[in-house]
Amino acid sequence: MSIRELFRQKLENAEIIPDASVSLKLMRKLARREFLRFNPARFNIYYLGGILVAGITASLILFSGSDKSGERSPLPVSGEFSKTDSTIYINVPVELTVTQKSDKLNENAFESIKNKPIIRPKVEPGKEPAQNIESRENNSVTHTGVNDSFSKKGLFTEASLDKNKLQRGFRTDEVLFETSATKGCTPLKIRFYNKSNSYDSCRWTFGDGGYSNEKNPEWIFDVEGEYKVVLNVFGSDGRRATSSSVITVYPKPLARFEIAPEKAVLPEDEIRFFNYSTNAVRFKWDFGDGSTSELFEPLHKYAKFGNYNVGLVVSSEYGCSDSLVAFSSSEYFIDFPNAFIPNPEGPIGGFYSSKSDEAAQVFHPIFSGVSDYQLKIFSKLGILIFESSDTNIGWDGYFNGQLSNPGVYIWKARGNFRNGKPFIKMGDVTLLRN
Amino acid sequence: MMSDRQIIEGCAKHERKAQQVLYDKYSRFLLGVCLRYARDKAEAEDILQDSFLKIFFNIKDFSGTGSFIGWLRKVAVNTAITHYHKNLKYRYHIEIEEYVSVETGVTSFEEDFFTSDELYMVLNELPTGYRMVFNLYAVEGYKHKEIAEILGIDTNTSKSQYSRAKAVIRDKLEKLGKLRSSYPENG
Repeated sequence: MSIRELFRQKLENAEIIPDASVSLKLMRKLARREFLRFNPARFNIYYLGGILVAGITASLILFSGSDKSGERSPLPVSGEFSKTDSTIYINVPVELTVTQKSDKLNENAFESIKNKPIIRPKVEPGKEPAQNIESRENNSVTHTGVNDSFSKKGLFTEASLDKNKLQRGFRTDEVLFETSATKGCTPLKIRFYNKSNSYDSCRWTFGDGGYSNEKNPEWIFDVEGEYKVVLNVFGSDGRRATSSSVITVYPKPLARFEIAPEKAVLPEDEIRFFNYSTNAVRFKWDFGDGSTSELFEPLHKYAKFGNYNVGLVVSSEYGCSDSLVAFSSSEYFIDFPNAFIPNPEGPIGGFYSSKSDEAAQVFHPIFSGVSDYQLKIFSKLGILIFESSDTNIGWDGYFNGQLSNPGVYIWKARGNFRNGKPFIKMGDVTLLRN
Repeated sequence: MMSDRQIIEGCAKHERKAQQVLYDKYSRFLLGVCLRYARDKAEAEDILQDSFLKIFFNIKDFSGTGSFIGWLRKVAVNTAITHYHKNLKYRYHIEIEEYVSVETGVTSFEEDFFTSDELYMVLNELPTGYRMVFNLYAVEGYKHKEIAEILGIDTNTSKSQYSRAKAVIRDKLEKLGKLRSSYPENG
């Protein structure tokens, strides 16, 4: 019995018991499809139920809507069902996650610049404007604090003290706290030191929605902006004192770039670097071959064949910096095309240059880091028709001086990379004729 | 017990009971068809579900002439083909070793030497393109020209894929047979 007969005999009418869940899933799918394919001629209990449900929902929305706000318009449910070929749109709140794509660069390169996750409530930067920008920039710290010269205990002010006076820096002769820094780049970590003594409790508000009751808290600002940090200290007798300071958080620049072409042929190819960095004014490129550049988008020509890691360090006008390194994705590879068109005018010997490569007249690999190699090409009948141990000599499509027939040929390549790893690759290539 | 005619009429009216009876009566047979075209049972069951949806919605297209089971099979096969086209981009390119096979050895097999489970396994392991061509040609009995049209390939590709598929299957069956004879049934 031949294979064909065997399979036909045994499998043409073979039966396999489906999983019980299949029937359930099918019935569910069927119900949904039938419901969506509304046809008045097939009006049945499902539509009736659907309309009932829709009607109840609509009336509920109508009534509750007028009760609460009236902003919501009732869904046009009845209208949907009067159409014969209706579609039901259901609004579902969808959460969109935007992921930044890694462009064309190696993923690894991004690991180095990813911020470490900071887990804490994120709030928009406070909009409190700085009261006195100049003094802040000159002195680096401006405290608008109030101490109580009226109060007996020195530090504590009356709780009823006019708040406006505090904010205007009405009395700044004593500050209640010090900070490890007043400006910096995101994410900015600042330690706050409560310098007041004789108090029972304190409360820090950081201007970005965060707060702390610790004595000397540490806080990370990860959104750029100006934040007014306020310290309230409370005494046991109900008195309190307030002091504030402005922290300026500068945006962090972002180093991003693309390289084109990523695989260049020497000596003619020049590599162009496309700069997508943001918030940066100064750039320093390291091309990985010992040379550097400070241009925005440099062009670079490599003198020597190889794989290079390219680095970019950017810095902003505030001195914040970021860096990105594009690692060469693979130092050792060999790949073959799956088709080529031999020169019909005669054998060209298998030498290829970037010019003949453009017309794809020679079947040859692209490779990097190959130390030795052997390529064999077979016809479909298994006859060896080409052999080469030189990566620079490919197959021109001729066998014994005759142009081979168009069709599929099998190739096999084996050899070693410079790092000692062997490779064996096989595949097929289609010989085309134009 | 409902007759096929009653089932068809009921399904045309979208009667749930008729649909259930149709499913109970033919799902095993149709899964048998689907499994020939799939990589595994889960994929076959997906195809089966889609086939039944098509059957339920298009049953009025069944003319009533010709065999009902033949029509069902055709729907399932067509669904499997649609599924193949839909999932084409997920298939891997097959390695060359898989289809370089020597055309020697046994050409004849005893009918009862292999169980249908084993044959299914052999089919499931085939590269998808081979499996499609082999099934359509050997079991369904399509012509290579038709297969080429259905799958969007060249007629010669269909022919060569069929013969390569056969070679791979023969290889696998021989291995299976050797395995069998080296472990004789000892109760």
